[in-house]
Amino acid sequence: MGRKMHLAVSLDIASAAGEAGPTFGEIAASVRNAERAGINMVIICDTLPGGKRSTSLFEATTLVAALATVTERIGLLASASTVAHQPYNLARRFASLDIISHGRAGWNATMTQAPGEAGNFSRPQGFSDDDFRRRTAEYIGIVQGLWNGWDADALVFDKRGGRFHEPEKMRLLDHKGEFFSVRGPLNVARSPQDTPVLALSGLSEPDFDIAARTADVILLDDEPFEAAKTRHDELKRRAATSGRDPDAVKVLMNVSFSADDKPATVAGRMADRFQSKACDGFNIQLPARSSALDGFVDGVLPELRRGGLFREGYSGTILRSHLGLAVAGDQ
Amino acid sequence: MTASHQMKLGAFLWATGHHIAAWRHPQAHVTAGIDIDHYIQLARTAEAAKFDMIFCEDAAGLREANINIASQTSRSIGFEPISLLSALAVQTSRIGLVSTASTSYNEPYGLARTFLSLDHLSGGRAGWNLVTSASPIEAANFGATGLKPHADRYERAREFAEVVTGLWHGGPSGHDGQSFSVRDPLDLPRSPQGAPVMVQAGASDVGRDLAARTADLVFTAAQTFEEAKAFYDDLKGRMAAYGREPDDIKIMPGVAPVVAETEAEARAKFEELQELIPDDVGVALLSSYLSIADLWRYPIDGPLPELPESEGMQSRQALVVEQSRRDGLSIRQLARHFAGARGHWRIVGTAAQVADALQERFEGGAADGFNVMPSYFPGELDAFCTLVVPELQRRGLFRKDYEGRTLREHLGLKRPAWLPAQA
Repeated sequence: MGRKMHLAVSLDIASAAGEAGPTFGEIAASVRNAERAGINMVIICDTLPGGKRSTSLFEATTLVAALATVTERIGLLASASTVAHQPYNLARRFASLDIISHGRAGWNATMTQAPGEAGNFSRPQGFSDDDFRRRTAEYIGIVQGLWNGWDADALVFDKRGGRFHEPEKMRLLDHKGEFFSVRGPLNVARSPQDTPVLALSGLSEPDFDIAARTADVILLDDEPFEAAKTRHDELKRRAATSGRDPDAVKVLMNVSFSADDKPATVAGRMADRFQSKACDGFNIQLPARSSALDGFVDGVLPELRRGGLFREGYSGTILRSHLGLAVAGDQ
Repeated sequence: MTASHQMKLGAFLWATGHHIAAWRHPQAHVTAGIDIDHYIQLARTAEAAKFDMIFCEDAAGLREANINIASQTSRSIGFEPISLLSALAVQTSRIGLVSTASTSYNEPYGLARTFLSLDHLSGGRAGWNLVTSASPIEAANFGATGLKPHADRYERAREFAEVVTGLWHGGPSGHDGQSFSVRDPLDLPRSPQGAPVMVQAGASDVGRDLAARTADLVFTAAQTFEEAKAFYDDLKGRMAAYGREPDDIKIMPGVAPVVAETEAEARAKFEELQELIPDDVGVALLSSYLSIADLWRYPIDGPLPELPESEGMQSRQALVVEQSRRDGLSIRQLARHFAGARGHWRIVGTAAQVADALQERFEGGAADGFNVMPSYFPGELDAFCTLVVPELQRRGLFRKDYEGRTLREHLGLKRPAWLPAQA
């Protein structure tokens, strides 16, 4: 069996000012459509790029919680800002989403400050780029540390013996850093897929080390072939340098296409990039309420499948299994 | 009998149950904290019984610092409540969804946005229970070197509530206050019910003032009719100063019923739960509410020691101490007594006896409704819904069907026309 590409769909739920955003029913219909097509995961972002005002009805993490109850297999990632949440609260929210979804949740964290966002969170001066980078790296370490605070077999539920969990299978984090101090542990049980999936987006070159060290998925903008290939190889090299299996980091390339693009052309372009190992897959950027997803599912996907480049359906039940990421006890 | 003469009911969902030993009960669903289907079923049960709302407690940390004690309770793990209620929002259609969130460890812009999103997901059924967080265990997860003094926490909470309600009402542009600054209005559309419902639980003097000024709903703990009545009259009396009518706030004390077909069965059921409480767990729970770490040093069969002023939960502490003195209870007795309902009002009896007790407080002007705290789940919520609710309906004290679609409509609250008072 050949190497298969990983496919994410970013659903844009934000509408331009003056338009009503898509309803829950409309968004859920799109996500179920993507699930029927066997897409690895959808990524929900609730803000417009560049800090423009949107009229989305929903905040991303609450929407993902609701979507988890009306889907069964597809992975669900929410974008959530490190400026808007304290790390303990964010770690809890995603740990909880992962249990609600039976192991299909992930956090899309961005390495880029949203313009003006800090001004709504009592930080009118924002952060310098250097501070923001160090702060985000520390933040991610805390969140992943909290996700690992409970061993998989910590909960014993022994009614007769009076022991709910094994005390020694829960660990304090005791983090004291430059920006945060967090004692832990999390008060949410361990994830059914070990930890929620971490996707990083908005990277620039100085973020590559952080990404290679911590991310399960890296989302990168489309680039000319040579640049994309160099970037991909560099990230994999750095993953290996930090002691990880290079295949434990999936590099996905952001792509969007218009209704005018022929499915065969789109599929061909994706196949080229994938087969020459400039990426492990793609993140298709689509509006949540449109026929664009149908166009992709009915036009492009069959082409990719004919070429043996995308699997037919889901083989596992958790997101890590869709992504081919190792989990103790699963697989 | 009109809706305004009927009591409001909340279903207070908490882990395996409100009784500290609930999880050990043979019929308790022990994996509640990792089972979303269990919560969906509880929500549907409460909705079928026409409860006004589901209510979720919250703390951003463990409940108990001593890990050995914590591991003998089910409260160290559970769902984060905003994600939980967001999931329940699309699996229910009428019942209100109220979650606790702290003003000490959140920012108003993010909290206002998240609850407004829950409000949109649920079609106008969301509520926020404001707490200031009294636990040093939580503080240690947020870089704090120590718990902030009670008065400072409430000053921050007052500003927080003002900013949140302002945002829900379309403003403010450019808040720049003592604790918070916010530049933009929210980027989500206005709430389907005007604004999410504001709930508060603090019962101290500053807590009451904050509630009188901003709350739509107040959750409280009161053991006796006199305590409940005194709190009710005091809080409603404070509202005129903020230009509000007494009926603009619904006061709902917590009640921990243990109900069965016969009184003997109810007593047996309660005793069975009490027997499951280990002494060290009961004492630890009590000491955490009293904010004294070394209660275990005192003889367990002796009286409660004199307590220093604490920065923790001042009003609840006073309640517990007063009860212990009044009844001449030992630490062990108080711990067991307290463990079952955490200082809330407990009724053990038949449906008619429970309904009598609720009716007395409701008609006596000591409560607008009750936040029901079942001992264990799902059995005790089922028992309340199948035994007590029909009895209340028969007496005309509780609705037989929802009158409206939003939580504000269920509670008989006006759509908020008021604006936050300026500092």
